[in-house]
Amino acid sequence: MTDAVSKPISYRLAFGTYEEALQMVGVATEPRIAGTVVSAARIQMFAATVRDANPSYWDADFATQHWGGLVAPPALLMGWLTPLPWQPGGQPPAAAIAIRVPLPGTTFINAANEAEFPLPIIEGDRLSVVEEVVSVSPEKQTKLGVGHFVETMDTFSRQDGSVVATNRNTLFRFTPVGSS
Amino acid sequence: MELPEVRDEISYQRVVMNSGSTWDYFPGHFDPAYAENQGHPTIFVNTMHLAGFADRVATDWAGPQSRVVRRKMRLAGSIYAGDTMVSRGRIVAKPAPGLLDLQIDITNQRGELCCPVELTLQLP
Repeated sequence: MTDAVSKPISYRLAFGTYEEALQMVGVATEPRIAGTVVSAARIQMFAATVRDANPSYWDADFATQHWGGLVAPPALLMGWLTPLPWQPGGQPPAAAIAIRVPLPGTTFINAANEAEFPLPIIEGDRLSVVEEVVSVSPEKQTKLGVGHFVETMDTFSRQDGSVVATNRNTLFRFTPVGSS
Repeated sequence: MELPEVRDEISYQRVVMNSGSTWDYFPGHFDPAYAENQGHPTIFVNTMHLAGFADRVATDWAGPQSRVVRRKMRLAGSIYAGDTMVSRGRIVAKPAPGLLDLQIDITNQRGELCCPVELTLQLP
């Protein structure tokens, strides 16, 4: 491993015991507001990533007629509230609540996700999210290593207060097999 | 009824586009040495990419006036740079007028199930 290899996580990963993690269950955050509005540039960058030619993402005339503007790909939901890895002023960006749950694991991987989209998200919308820790599992052994499953529930609203999406996510916070 | 199979070869560039488009800079999505250190063969696509592939399969088939209103997925295995994502989809139910439940299974080129997806479309 060289110095150029990434440090485990660029965002703040909180460390602690399972008992400390349990104290965060049921805690909901204050609303966190996206730094930028939903933009055509990010819509199309994501559509290019997954090679989705849906005109709702690319054709402003079609999208405006059918949806009221270019549509945010539903799959990009979590991306709108993901902070950039660097911000002016030097303070680390606020990370998703799931990785701020104090646990021993040195890394994480996503295990499951369930999202619902009551309303389409449209170019120009400014989203905010309220995050809640739903549960933290006892220690589990998987093929990746030993760790805990962290279930969170995010509720996304737009500028007029309407809920546009909910996102239930389960992440596995673990220490890889073979590492100390 | 079955949806047409969709195959998508995932190059290193495509995986790195994950971080660029979603702002998810978890190093497993751009740093092969980090990924190997975590027990993976190389970098892998993120949850949003798998979800986006499933959504694309659904709305390409149903048309651009359809909309994904629910998607439930399990991350059973990873899609790595160099792999091919393969979707196999079918209609499961019509839970209400204008709604359609689909099952879309995403495997790699070896047929290993990486991500089973339940998805509900709202039709025009």
